[in-house]
Amino acid sequence: MEGAGSRTGSGNRSLEDCRLDEDEDAFQALGEEDEDIDQFNDDTFGSGAVDDDWQEAHERLAELEDKAAAGAERDGDGGDPLGEHEDTLAERLTRLVIESELEDPAVMRAVQTRTPAQPPAGLHSGLWDGSAVLRRMRAPLLAQEMPPVSVLDYALPPRAPQNREEERDPSERALPRRSSSPVIGSPPVRAVPIGTPPKQAAVPGFNQQILCPKPVHIRASMQQRYPAAYGERMSPNQLCSVPNSSLLGHPFPHSVSPVLSHLQRAQLLGGAQAGRMSPSQFARVSGLVGSPLPSVNPKLLQGRVGQMMSPASGFRAFFGAPAASQPPPGPGCHLQSLRPPAQMFRPDTTHLHPQHRRLLHQRQQQNRSQQRGLNGAAGDRGGHRSGPQEQPRKDPYANLMLQREKDWVSKIQMMQLQSTDPYLDDYYYQNYFQKLEKLSAAEEVQGDGPKKERTKLITPQVAKLEHTYKPVQFEGSLGKLTVSSVNNPRKMIDAVVTSRSEDDETKEKQVRDKRRQTLVTIEKTYSLLLDVEDYERRYLLSLEGERPALVGERKQKICDMYDNLRGKAPGQERPSDDHFVQIMCIRKGKRLVGRIVPLLSPEQAADVLLATARNLPFLIKKDAQDEVLPCLLRPFSHVLYHLPLATLTSLAQQLTNLPQSGSANPHLAAVLQNKFGLSLLYLVLSRGEELQSADGAAELLRDNAWTELVLLATRELLRAPPAAVAKPLAAPANLLALLSRYVDPQKLNALQTKLQ
Amino acid sequence: MNYMPGTASLIQDIDKKHLVLLRDGRTLIGFLRSIDQFANLVLHQTVERIHVGAKYGDIPRGIFVVRGENVVLLGEIDLEKESDTPLQQVSIEEILEEQRLEQQAKLESEKLKVQALKERGLAVPRADTLDEY
Repeated sequence: MEGAGSRTGSGNRSLEDCRLDEDEDAFQALGEEDEDIDQFNDDTFGSGAVDDDWQEAHERLAELEDKAAAGAERDGDGGDPLGEHEDTLAERLTRLVIESELEDPAVMRAVQTRTPAQPPAGLHSGLWDGSAVLRRMRAPLLAQEMPPVSVLDYALPPRAPQNREEERDPSERALPRRSSSPVIGSPPVRAVPIGTPPKQAAVPGFNQQILCPKPVHIRASMQQRYPAAYGERMSPNQLCSVPNSSLLGHPFPHSVSPVLSHLQRAQLLGGAQAGRMSPSQFARVSGLVGSPLPSVNPKLLQGRVGQMMSPASGFRAFFGAPAASQPPPGPGCHLQSLRPPAQMFRPDTTHLHPQHRRLLHQRQQQNRSQQRGLNGAAGDRGGHRSGPQEQPRKDPYANLMLQREKDWVSKIQMMQLQSTDPYLDDYYYQNYFQKLEKLSAAEEVQGDGPKKERTKLITPQVAKLEHTYKPVQFEGSLGKLTVSSVNNPRKMIDAVVTSRSEDDETKEKQVRDKRRQTLVTIEKTYSLLLDVEDYERRYLLSLEGERPALVGERKQKICDMYDNLRGKAPGQERPSDDHFVQIMCIRKGKRLVGRIVPLLSPEQAADVLLATARNLPFLIKKDAQDEVLPCLLRPFSHVLYHLPLATLTSLAQQLTNLPQSGSANPHLAAVLQNKFGLSLLYLVLSRGEELQSADGAAELLRDNAWTELVLLATRELLRAPPAAVAKPLAAPANLLALLSRYVDPQKLNALQTKLQ
Repeated sequence: MNYMPGTASLIQDIDKKHLVLLRDGRTLIGFLRSIDQFANLVLHQTVERIHVGAKYGDIPRGIFVVRGENVVLLGEIDLEKESDTPLQQVSIEEILEEQRLEQQAKLESEKLKVQALKERGLAVPRADTLDEY
């Protein structure tokens, strides 16, 4: 088969004769079996694979490479590889899979991260035809220019810096790869962070400077020089070329001394270590500096040695007083050799960006005029410039994290906040901010102060979509792949619930089961309650037509709750309070009842009240630890005020357990001893009194029962020792009036004392 | 640019000096240079601060990369108020010595406690091995 190796360049080849282009060697052997393979796998070798000529493809790729290189220069980071990657990957994958609804996001994600072994960025997405993905990935890679920084870069092993250095002009490069770290341990600090855009005329000036160094001004004391903090930075190139440059020294003198010594050692050794550093110019620079320049080096070293401090103290000094006297960095002799700055600026400072210099110049002038007013002496420091706003300016390590990366992290965080129902997913956050807003709205209404704009986080709202999961299918394969993921877990264990028969159970188990039943009932009722309480909000959000349905639902739920509370009605009668009492024994149950009672109808609420009163001693006993009963007082009092007289009387009866009259009334005594019980009793009595006074009173007076009750209550109150009587939550004012009607003044006084 | 108001996002904290408490009990102080979505931190010019009693000592560590799950809490350090502390700074050797003494004392008291419990026939409560701090 002669077609395998030849590249005639004619574009008239039929598709069937197309051979694999890129890896000729690998497929040379297969070339002989071409026919067989063609038949079997059209997609890889035949018509489905390549739509166009390999040469055209290559030319296109070559063009792209140039474009990409130009693009990288232009905007510095090759576009937005982060976003691009995701898009093209998604596109490719959808083409790869037959059914384009890859509903399972977990699978999608996993596939995405696995497939791109080394995807070049900036490739035309049109090239990425479905089944030719794998083939395409190989060839263009080597020729392709990778964008300097991309999210995948971090995962990739660091490339040898050598090919990068060779192929690029260092002065053109915007951002070197962060992943290549020169030394293990702390890398030598640079005066300027790695991602410094270089100045244009760095290279020629560089050589010039080294050969004819300007006079060195050496200072033994510590100074801070912040050459490149103001947004624009200088490349190590420029810095090294300055005789007294901060690369040889350092801009943060205190903190970086340990590294400084390291750096110095590197230089002394002739840049043996420095040669491994990633920015190529650094290597060259160190090498050059290490070369014998007797006029420069010893002086520098001497100066630097004098500045060396112990690491600990260095750090301490750094962390200790950043706001201490910080002389401004006057721009030094500029690379373009502008006029020597002389006295105004500090002559040993490094090169600054012209804009920076100008600004500093202005500032200094301002300060000088200030200073003359302040302390007269211009000093050798040229003016103090401390203040919090200065700090970020002087930090040469600032913005190591690019804006783009910050946006990326923030994007991820926002994605995590996506929710179809924020009220459900993030209830507390939503509530809290609603409250805040209400507060600020209320404040605004009250006072006409300036509207305080509180920045709100607008979380992305995602429409609720119902996804039915369809398993992934691949073309040509038989059957369906079962990929079990987070969204469709595979059933591993068949857990069947078996209920045990009644006979086998022991007493304890029965008790335990009963308690569990009660707990389950409480939980179910609680969900109903939360739903019902939520109806108001839903009502506001809903449309007009839906509202009646909502109201109906709500009513139904309330009925359900009541049924739950009292136990399912066997017939008309509710013979036992047992169910209710069980619920009331549990703390959560009591709170539940407290929340439900306001929602119930009057009859239902009265029923609950009666049941409570009937069993009050028992409940009191059970409540000894929790002491939650008082929380019921408020809802109960609301109910009380709507009760008709008859009910009130029967309630009082229940409280005092009148049918079982005896000289000793333990029921009532227990009630009196308990805070809740006593308060309830007082409420009942006071309500009765109200009714009496309001009503013309005839009815009540005729009612013997009521009178008896009151007398009984009073008797009991008197009898009980003062210590035993609990302190009621609220002692209604009209109690005394009530009681005065029935008892003589003597007893009344005694009662009065008791009531206090 | 106000990143994510009303939430706890570390983006606004970048390039500021922070105190980070780790799960193993170490206290790191450094400039927060980089973060990611897991709250992995890159601390620059980090100093490990050892506190014993009213004294503390700093060990300069350089650059730290901390895995997010090991961070207990972190907070920004107010540079102006930083020196306003009743604690006394001592040298590294001294603080390490103090720490060693403290550890010793703790071990001894622990031993005594275990002994006392044993004498009374009570079991020793097992500490959670995940968090030694």
